[in-house]
Amino acid sequence: MSDASKPMVPEKVVELAVDSIFKKNGIKPEELKKNLTDEQKKVLREMVEDLKKQVDQFNSRNNETSE
Amino acid sequence: MTKQLKEWRALDHCDTDSDDNAVVEQEAVQHDSIKQVSNEWIIIKDSEGIDVTTTDTQAAVSLQLGIQVAIAVVLSITIGDSDQAKHVMQDFNQVSKTRQSNRQKTIIEGSRNVEITTTDTDIAVNIQLLVQILVAIVASLDIL
Repeated sequence: MSDASKPMVPEKVVELAVDSIFKKNGIKPEELKKNLTDEQKKVLREMVEDLKKQVDQFNSRNNETSE
Repeated sequence: MTKQLKEWRALDHCDTDSDDNAVVEQEAVQHDSIKQVSNEWIIIKDSEGIDVTTTDTQAAVSLQLGIQVAIAVVLSITIGDSDQAKHVMQDFNQVSKTRQSNRQKTIIEGSRNVEITTTDTDIAVNIQLLVQILVAIVASLDIL
């Protein structure tokens, strides 16, 4: 049984994938940052944190039952 | 320079050098082909004290959808050009394109005090991957 606390795909691999997709489309994260207001950043941060929490809950529920 | 007057032809405009920039539109919506089939059968017969725990696939699917929407939102907010945002989104969809089918059958017959636990590992992997992509995107934008 897989361990939920450990990512199934190494973080570096995902980072690399994201980076290469940005590069392929000629997107520079530096420039994208400018398009975000502080308010938007805050909302997005909350959104991501919330989703992360939901995923953790989902995984821990699965793990709990698989013991 | 005066050109000789010719009879009008519908495709004349294709002959000029400047009009060769035909734009081939990509199909606007690339279907997001995450397909998940989950068939789970648990049959309990002539038994007692059976404890069953299964994964809530429905919850998992909606969680997965939520993360996908979040990725799309982040991209469309930050990338001003909507066409470009669309292209990037397509690329991300390709990374997480998965087909899964999960079939399990469990049959318990004539038993007492049995504990059954089934897990849908496939969908858990996919959710994990999607959330990792989302986190990597927002991290690169200094949001986290």
